[in-house]
Amino acid sequence: MRRTVLIAAALVMAGAGTAWAAGQQLGQPLAPRSPEKVYASTCGYCHGTNVGPIILGRHLPAVTVVGMVREGRNAMPAFRPTEISNGELEALSRWVEASAANPQEKGQ
Amino acid sequence: MSTLPIDRRGLLGAGVVVAAALGLAACERKAPVSLAPGVSKADFAGFIAAAKSIVGAEWVAGDAQSVKPWTKKYIPDPGNVHAPVGAVAPASVEEVQELVRIANTYKQPLWPVSTGKNMGYGMTSTAAPGQIVLDLKRMNRILSVDPELCTALVEPGVTYQQLKDYLVENNLPLWIDVPTVGPIASPVGNTLDRGVGYTPYGEHFMVQCGMEVVMPNGDLLKTGMGSTKNPSAWQAFKWGYGPYLDGIFTQSNFGVVTKMGMWLLPAPPVYKPFVVRHKKMEDVSRIVDAMRPLRIANIIPNVVLMMGAGYQLGMFARRAEVWDKPEPVPDEAFEAAAAKVGLGMWNTYFALYGTETMVAESEKIVRAAFEAIGGEVLTEADMVGNPYFHHHATLMQGGLSLEEIGIVRWKGAGGGLAWFAPVAPAKGSETVGQVALAKEILGRHGFDYTVAFAIGSRELHHIIALLYDKSDPADEKRAAECYHDLVTGFGDKGWASYRTGVQAMDLVAQQYGEVNRAVNAAIKQALDPNHIIAPGKSGIA
Repeated sequence: MRRTVLIAAALVMAGAGTAWAAGQQLGQPLAPRSPEKVYASTCGYCHGTNVGPIILGRHLPAVTVVGMVREGRNAMPAFRPTEISNGELEALSRWVEASAANPQEKGQ
Repeated sequence: MSTLPIDRRGLLGAGVVVAAALGLAACERKAPVSLAPGVSKADFAGFIAAAKSIVGAEWVAGDAQSVKPWTKKYIPDPGNVHAPVGAVAPASVEEVQELVRIANTYKQPLWPVSTGKNMGYGMTSTAAPGQIVLDLKRMNRILSVDPELCTALVEPGVTYQQLKDYLVENNLPLWIDVPTVGPIASPVGNTLDRGVGYTPYGEHFMVQCGMEVVMPNGDLLKTGMGSTKNPSAWQAFKWGYGPYLDGIFTQSNFGVVTKMGMWLLPAPPVYKPFVVRHKKMEDVSRIVDAMRPLRIANIIPNVVLMMGAGYQLGMFARRAEVWDKPEPVPDEAFEAAAAKVGLGMWNTYFALYGTETMVAESEKIVRAAFEAIGGEVLTEADMVGNPYFHHHATLMQGGLSLEEIGIVRWKGAGGGLAWFAPVAPAKGSETVGQVALAKEILGRHGFDYTVAFAIGSRELHHIIALLYDKSDPADEKRAAECYHDLVTGFGDKGWASYRTGVQAMDLVAQQYGEVNRAVNAAIKQALDPNHIIAPGKSGIA
């Protein structure tokens, strides 16, 4: 049983390419977050809620996403490497580029 | 699969390419920044080199290109004087102590930020030129959560999102209290700036308990019960013994707070949000007089907002959808646009918390009070699908949202926001003069009356969102002049701000008089003789 769980976990990690932590433990720094988690806890609060434009499903080039996140285009705030690490941003930018539109999102 | 250039220079280079491609004039409209007074190029270089040896080169930005992510701001700063010259990001309190020591060596001032997302107050921009941002965001450990005492101890880089996630993932029935930018802001940063939220724990400094502070000489101070032999009551008892010190580390530059205790609200069995609609601008006076006794007696237990139609509409609408002329939006246009989306000219949001019986009894009292002054008292059942109500119902239970940030696009895509928040006693009569004065000053400079009033307990905050288009240099200049006139115009009447952005810290300090300034200066000189912690913060050099 334990062996099965370990194998399953290893497969999940291999599939994602990176091991994302499940949740923060007391006394430990925040572990690297998956693109889905970064999007849900930062980007998605504006993009998809009528505050900022929709960005999912538009095939925005990853390099464009990176530039906008770090400098904050126009009304968008900038996000520093201390907030979204370079590794998280690399994964996030590729994920946004490859994303499908989310019909639940509202934008203008 | 192609490889993206993900080192910092690569990222920023990409950003510049993007900016150029999109014609972002504002990105290029930057005046050169200068070093702090008395700091030579050699001093600056010496600090940067020493900082790299402490935190690692990857966590130090020491040139105009690499510091760009720390320079974004919504506040008006036509001369770009509120820009940092570098940034350093420690991962531990020991690294903070070392950085403070080398700052003394090189006389290099540091500007501490927790998460740096106090939008409309400056984010990570600095009160005076030549400072290096001490970015504490990497210090993001949740150190303890006590489900019995309902307390937490957190580092500065912990966001409200992180804390909420922890409580949810561990199935702890405790609520946090968030400001309007909760997901990306921090309890430490917001509390140290004496920010507020909208649950019964909305006055954040009131529910803060215990701090760890790196003093300007590198010493480590623990306030309250934190320095006893058994600090088990550190998050339980605020006052400790002797002078209460925590206050001097809020809105100040006397130390770097590296840990903070806070109280969490036990989730109530019943939560019931309300909005009261009033149709006319002049109704706000009666609303305040009706609300005051309910707040003082704690029948309404949370920090309440009276959202004006302009501020409320700005969350999801653009100005051009409401008014097509350059002159300030008249009350009638706001009133009509608000009515179309189920809002009044004033929308008073509060909530009841407790058992079903308690909430039902309080609701009778509250309904009677507001119906007596012509208010429509509405609940979730009446406001189904209304995004404005949903937003405030989220906030009043410590939920996370960034919807209010939509207001920065009110006048244009460039984004521009400066909060001005003068304080008055919670008496309706105070609103009459405040509304007239705010409209006169805003109108004189061509800006709209986009505001809310908030009542914490006995005080009234007039929360004025000065909304402008930062991509228009002329509008930014007008906004800077308008903000100056707001501070001085209100200050002349004794209505001084409870908080301000980095662009006006000295001006607001002037409103509180010379003796206050002299006392603060004396404390600063005693604790930080080299003035290396955030000179200019709250007008303290």
